[in-house]
Amino acid sequence: MTDRLDRWADPPLLVLASLADEPKHGYAITQDVAETMGVRLSAGTLYAVIARLEARGLIEPLESDDRRRPYRITMAGAEALAQQSERMSKVASVARERLSTRLGWAGA
Amino acid sequence: MRAPLAGVRAALALYPPSWRARYGDEVLALVEDSGGGPAAVASLVWRALPAWFWPQRHLHDRPARMRASLGTALMSWSMLAGLGLVFAQLTQLQGLAPPGHPQIRWAYAVFDLTLAASALIAGLGGLPLWLLMLRRARREQRTRDMVYLFLPVIAPAAYLAGLIVTVRLAGSVSGVSQGWFGVITLSGFAAAATAAAGPGLALRRLQPRGPALRLAATAAGVSAATMAVAAVAIVVAVTSLNLWARQFVGYHDGTLSGIYLALVVAAATVTTVSAARGTRAALAQP
Repeated sequence: MTDRLDRWADPPLLVLASLADEPKHGYAITQDVAETMGVRLSAGTLYAVIARLEARGLIEPLESDDRRRPYRITMAGAEALAQQSERMSKVASVARERLSTRLGWAGA
Repeated sequence: MRAPLAGVRAALALYPPSWRARYGDEVLALVEDSGGGPAAVASLVWRALPAWFWPQRHLHDRPARMRASLGTALMSWSMLAGLGLVFAQLTQLQGLAPPGHPQIRWAYAVFDLTLAASALIAGLGGLPLWLLMLRRARREQRTRDMVYLFLPVIAPAAYLAGLIVTVRLAGSVSGVSQGWFGVITLSGFAAAATAAAGPGLALRRLQPRGPALRLAATAAGVSAATMAVAAVAIVVAVTSLNLWARQFVGYHDGTLSGIYLALVVAAATVTTVSAARGTRAALAQP
């Protein structure tokens, strides 16, 4: 069941979160997302997401001499990430509160 | 490592060219770094279809789209015009206007009008782009491109000269034989293809952009739509002649008519679709 819930992790959000601190190229994004968020992004998913985020102006490519082009989050991307994080934070807070009431769970 | 990369390359071939040009190398680098195997290939294959259905606008190279559409539309338009001239030669110019069938007369009139209008629109709309490319080719002393640009004049002139000589040598009072007519017709299509290929090659080599390109792409759309009406007129006239006035059909062969009509429909479809794609790129918001 937890695996199924993991599938709800929104890949665009994961990529935006990964780029929030510094620019990264494709492989660095997949590594970061896997290590810090526990989600493996496949090549197809990652570049489908990168194309969509770039089209919406939420990330932008940086100049690169080799094939590993880094991407940077834009101001619009940072705002979108902040808003979504706020929503998720509220959901998490409600979930924790209700779980603690019901099960005495205090969270990690 | 080679097998997965070959698989990745094959999977990337399923993507739209613009997507592949933009992200293809990055995907290959990612798979090289991560050592991705069949799972990477499967994920790429899985995502290829949505890339076609929901193309990303930022990947569109509008001038390239317009140039490619112009080149294709020009070639198919020339073939269609050639087919139209064959139609005119075998029907109208033989005085084949059966009485009691007004739709055939109407089809002839519509064909004449739309063919002339289509050629005029294409010529006027394409002239600024042609002049722009010619100026650049002259300024940069690109002799080959200048030859390409003059092919629409050189090829028909050479064809007409050859036609005059052929008719004088092989013709009689009643015209040329069926064999020579075939040779003249095929040479005409070759001349039309050469004339159309010239500007197409110049477009590819000089890669013009800007208002002249947009004007030409827009005019190509209008010209193609007009030519599509001419194609419909051909279909109406040829079908009517075969169904109701077979004695007026010069070649008395339903199969030939069928092949001819299939070629007309195919050329009209390619012209219309290609020109429409170019026009859409010309009119799209940047």
